[in-house]
Order: sequence, then C-alpha cells, then structure tokens
Amino acid sequence: MTMFHFLNCAILTFGPHAVYYSATPLSEYDTLGTSIKAAVVYLVTALVKLVCLATFLKVSESDSFDPYQELLKALIGFVDVAGLYFALTQLTHRNISQNHKFQAVGLGWAFADSVLHRLAPLWVGARGLEFTWDFVLQGLEANANLVLCLSLAALGSLIWLRKNKPKTLIPIIYACAGIVATMPSITSYLKRGLGWHFPKVVGFELFTSLVMAFISWQLFTACQRPSN
Amino acid sequence: MAKSQPSVWVDPVYSSVITLLIIVMACVELCDAVTVVDVYRLVQYDLAGVPFGSRLAALNHHAGSSLFSSSAAAGAAADLSRTVLILPVRELNLTFIKDSAGISDHDSAKDIIKEDLRELEQLLIHANIPYPVYFGFEDDRVNAVLADVKKNDATGQLATATTGGYKLVVSAPEPRKIASPTITNIQGWLPGLKADGDSNQLPTIAVVASYDTFGAAPALSVGSDSNGSGVVALLELARLFSILYSSPKTRGRYNLLFVLTSGGPYNYNGTHKVLIPSKDLFIFVYTCAVGLCRDFDSVLSCYSGRSLDQRLRETIDYSICLNSIGSVSNELWIHVSKPPDNIYIKQIFEVAWEHEQFSRLRVTAATLSELSVAPDFLESTGGLSDSRYFVDEASISRSVKLVAESLARHIYGLEGKNIDIFADDSSLSVNPSYIRSWLQFLSTTPRVAPFLSKNDPLIMALKKELADHTVEVNVQHEVLDGMFTFYDSTSGRLHVYQVASVTFDLILLMGLGSYLVTLFSFLVITTRRERETYTNGQQLLQFPPGKAGNETQPAISRFYHDWCAFNTAR
Repeated sequence: MTMFHFLNCAILTFGPHAVYYSATPLSEYDTLGTSIKAAVVYLVTALVKLVCLATFLKVSESDSFDPYQELLKALIGFVDVAGLYFALTQLTHRNISQNHKFQAVGLGWAFADSVLHRLAPLWVGARGLEFTWDFVLQGLEANANLVLCLSLAALGSLIWLRKNKPKTLIPIIYACAGIVATMPSITSYLKRGLGWHFPKVVGFELFTSLVMAFISWQLFTACQRPSN
Repeated sequence: MAKSQPSVWVDPVYSSVITLLIIVMACVELCDAVTVVDVYRLVQYDLAGVPFGSRLAALNHHAGSSLFSSSAAAGAAADLSRTVLILPVRELNLTFIKDSAGISDHDSAKDIIKEDLRELEQLLIHANIPYPVYFGFEDDRVNAVLADVKKNDATGQLATATTGGYKLVVSAPEPRKIASPTITNIQGWLPGLKADGDSNQLPTIAVVASYDTFGAAPALSVGSDSNGSGVVALLELARLFSILYSSPKTRGRYNLLFVLTSGGPYNYNGTHKVLIPSKDLFIFVYTCAVGLCRDFDSVLSCYSGRSLDQRLRETIDYSICLNSIGSVSNELWIHVSKPPDNIYIKQIFEVAWEHEQFSRLRVTAATLSELSVAPDFLESTGGLSDSRYFVDEASISRSVKLVAESLARHIYGLEGKNIDIFADDSSLSVNPSYIRSWLQFLSTTPRVAPFLSKNDPLIMALKKELADHTVEVNVQHEVLDGMFTFYDSTSGRLHVYQVASVTFDLILLMGLGSYLVTLFSFLVITTRRERETYTNGQQLLQFPPGKAGNETQPAISRFYHDWCAFNTAR
C-alpha cells in the first residue's frame, strides 16, 4: 500500500494549489497563463540561485550552523525577491486586477517551488515499503509555503504596483516583506543552529505563515481603502 | 530513510537540479529498510526422492515473535502462513517446535547452547518444512526489532496488513537443484625407499581424513571439530613425514599416502571412490617438492598405465582414518570393524565410520576419534553447533604426536624402544602455530561438498599444501551419489521494513479529503463578496430588451464599463 501513501502525500502537497485556483475567482478570470509564467520565472530564478550557490558557497562537512554561510545564502535568497519583482511587474498580463495578479503569481510561484523541491523526494521515497512521517510533514510544509508565497506576492505587489500608499504603513510593509523573504534562512537556523526537529520546524512555519498572511491581508485591505 | 532526504534539507537548491534534469528514478531501488541482515538458509535436500529441509527461499511477510499470540482465544496459534517468526535460540522451547510445521529462527552466535543447537539441528535436518527457514546472527538492530515486535504482540494485535508493524523481506529466486554435484578427493603420495634389487612394491600406509561438512545451514557449516581437526592433523602429519622422507637416509620402507576425502557425511562416498573410482575423471598432477629426491620408479609406474587405485588396493598395509580429534576431553578411541565372514552379505546402506569403506574391500583400517559411539546418519558432521570455540588445539597436537610416533616406530621398526622421534623442541616437533592457523582457516570456511566447485579456493589451498609436503598430488573429481539431491540458495539478505497499515492510509486519505473540502469552502465563502460584485456588474450591463433607445444605450454602457474598469484596475 505504498503507492497509496505516495498518493496521499501528493494530494497533501499539491492539492491546496489546485483547490486555491478553483475556489477563488482566479479560475473565472482565467489567470492560468499568469501562473504558468510565474512558474517559469521561478525555474529561471532557481537556476540562477544554484549557479550562485555553487560558485560562492563552500561545502561544509558538518551539519552545524555557519553564520557566514547562512548570510551568503540569505543574500542569494534575495535573488528570489528579484524574480518575484520581475514576475509581478515586467511580465505582460492580460487585463486582470491587481488583486488577482498577485494571487496568480504567488500561486504559480508556490506550485513551482513545491514541484521542484518536493516531487522528486516524494516519488523516490514515499513509494518504498518503509514508512516515515517525513513526507506528511513535507506536505504540511508545502501548504505553509503556499501561504507564505501568497503573502510575499501580496506585499510585493503593494510595494511595487501600488503607487499611493498611506505613509505610516510603508515601513511595516517593508518589514513584513523582509521577514517573509528571509523565512528560508530562519528555518535553516532553527533546524541546524537550535537543533529543532522537523515536526517542530513545520509547526513553526505553519504558524508564522498564518500570522504573516493575516498581517499582509490587513495591510492590503488598508491600502485598498482610498487614502485621504 | 531515503538517501535523497539529506539533499532536501541541507541545500534546497541542489534537489531542484534533480528535477530540472528530470532523472527518472523509478527503477532505482534504494535501500530504505530499517535494517539489512545477512541470513543463511536451512539446507534443502532430497534423499532418495524424499524431500527434507526448508523447501522455499523467498520471504515477504509481517514479523511475529512467538508461536502463540498472547490474546488468542483458546490458544489458537498465530497464522504461520502469513507471519514470519523471529525466535532467539536461547529462548527456544523445542517441544513447541516439534508440534508446529513452520518456523523461522534467529540464533545467537555468542551464547551458544551447544546441546540445544545440536538437537535443533537434528530436528530441522530430518523434517520437511514447506516454509523458508533462515538463521541469522544476533546484533543490536535485530534485537531492537525483536523487542518492538514483542511489544506489539503483547498488545494482542496480530501483525497483518491492517495493523502495521514490521515486514521482513528476503528476495531470493526459486531454489534449483544442483546438477551433478562433485566431490573432490585429494591424495598426496610420499614414496618410500626402495632398496636396490627389491622388485616388490613397497607397502603403503594411508592416512585419511574427510574434509567436508554438512549442517542445518550450509553457509554456516564450518565443522571445526568434525572434521577440521582431522584435516589439520593430517596436514601436520604430512609435514612431519615429508621432513623425515626428504633425505634418503631417513626415508622409511613404507610409502605414505595422505588422502583428503569429500562426501564424508554421505556415507563416506568419497572414500569409497578413492578405492573404486569412476572411469572418466582421473587427473594427474605432478609436483616436485624442492629438495625432495624423486623416486623415478614410482614416476615411471605412473606412466605405465596402471592406475593409482589398483596400486593402492594392492599395497595398502593399513589405513588410519582421523575423525574429530579436537575436543577438550582427553579421550581417544580407535574403532575397527570386523569384515563379514560371509562375503555374500550385501553391503549395508549406512556407513558409520570411514574405515568401513576400506574394510569392505578387505583393507585393514581403523578410525581414530574422540567419539566413543558411531554417530548417526548426518549427525556430528560439522554443523551449527560445531564451532572453533569448542576445539582445543592442544588435543590436536597430542593426537598428532601420538599418531606420528606410532607410525614412525612401525615404519622404522622401533617398537618397544624408548625413543621420542617427534620430541618437543626438536626440528621434528609438532608445530602448534601451523595447527592453529589451519584450524582458523578451516573454522571460517563452510565446506558442504555439493556447494564446492571443482576449483574452489579451499580445494586449491588443500592441494597446494599437500603438494608442498608430498611428492605427487592427485586430485580426483567424482559425482556425488545419486541418492542425494541438493538445492542452491544458501544465503540471502533480510530486509526489515517498518510499515504502516492500510487503515492508517485510509484515515489519512479521509483527513486530507476533509481538509481540502474545508479549504475549498473557506475560500469560496471569503471570495463571495467579490463574486457577487462581478455578477452584479455583468447583470447591469445587460439591459432589458427593447426598453432603451440606441442613443442612451452606448452612453450608459460606456459609463458603466469605465466604472468597472476603474474598479478592477486598482
């Protein structure tokens, strides 16, 4: 029954993306093209990041937390942000509202991320006879990642696409965007520096993703009100 | 743990390379088992058509820890056809085994209870078990698995597909018959000194030992005592007498023949064939030991066409067979057999001692052994319980000295004289390190004859060793008696997997389904307001037919269209 387990974990990892697409008005506005374009941009970004990491990072034998290496990884992680900027602003989208644009881009981004990072381990590992909880936890992490990507896309669209923002909110927007963008470094620090186990890390990710989603939603609706 | 896991957690980008290159890893079998253990199968053989031993090799079932589950009603046995039992030998209660049909064992190598093991071995060899039976060594991982399985069993659950637990898998092909198993005899010939003018053949003394074993697990049958001790003693005797025979001044008036026979457990098949070989396979190998002066007479007679067996039978004065002389107790028995008075008595089926094969052909022979009673068929043949731990080198040395002194006094006519030929601290002393190293080698080499090929390293090693000590070495290949049929697949690898039950998967699926449904409804509800605005906008654009004129329509529609566009563009 191990194919069964693989199907379960695949549903957990990729199901929410499909559900999100069909449940929200994204499907009605037919924004699939945008999502696909965003996914392609993510692939290119991943390739660029890979090349940078291979060039600048040295392979460490121990599994400890090296601040310098982590700093380097965080800087390279900002290539992600650049990619997102590109996807949000430079790609030509059809006439869809900004509301839907960031959702479509975030969805495509998160889907590409899940496929790239989680499909191969799932296919290889979940089909074996041996049972581990890792793949279920990985699926939960994919869900958290989806929410985080949407938040990041929302904040990104606020930063780059919306011209008239209330002055007081601008630093908060940038701060939240910074936190969400450096999420990978934070989780890697927790895993290796503090030695947290995987379930704990996934729990933390889920919690923070919900918190950031709530905050960015509030910021978004605050900016949507006409500024006076 | 899947091997690709570390790449995901250490460096997320590298795993993306795997996907970017789209490697299809479906065919690669990763070793993701909790433990992988080397296991050795119970022997499978047919004797005159009657099957014995374990008849299957492949294994793929859940693990259990006892023959009876603790919560079983009315003492019903666990379903053995769907369970694999892990039983440590030290906890074995043999009466249970005798009653049940299928068992799978794990045994402890360090804490052997020799008698129990011997009894278990005899039981298994003579039983016909339609299940795979494997032996393995105890270690920490296996013990951990066993403890877990016992804990699960204690809660009363029988391990099946619906309750999860451990799954044991041995993937082995169907065992096949070994076609024409060969037994190989190795003979070393030390010719004696022929006086000038002596046209008669010199008498021969033969020293014989069988080197192969048989046990419950052929891959573990090393037979240190039966008959590793005999082989070691024979080699040491060959070494000592080769020193004596190297110079013509000290060469005796007897030829010496050292024979290492195979087929011991099978009624001393090989010994029989030494004396009466089959016509085809008879390979002659010449060796010239450095420093040994060759006796050209014997060389010429080899070429003369008279086979060694005829010479043997005609000239053997007597032969000494060595069997199990390595135990700690100080007893040595010499067994002789009385040839039947009536030559028309049919040969008996079972041959208890090796010398009986000689006696049948009217050759004087005796067996030297620590056993006081002849072992039963397939008993004391060097099985599981016969390990290096129980063999005493000093006993072997003492026995070698005894045999060597007796032979030498007879050869050189020194009976009754008070001479110590092979005295300690002389150049002819028995070498304990030689004995120890050969005993060590034999105790780590399983030697079941059907599984030894013609050019097996063991046979080559024994041949080389005899060639070093004797003038002429003769390797004789024969086919094992047709009564015995052996099957291959003597060892395998056991994979232990921790599996989740089907119930768990179903529950997980239902949980996921409800999660996705909840997510769907949550999203639909939160975006309802937006949806309503959209549909309202659509409705407003559609005017009732025939109401408004052409002039007003475009204006209103244009105005509303602009307003909608303005809203959506924000």
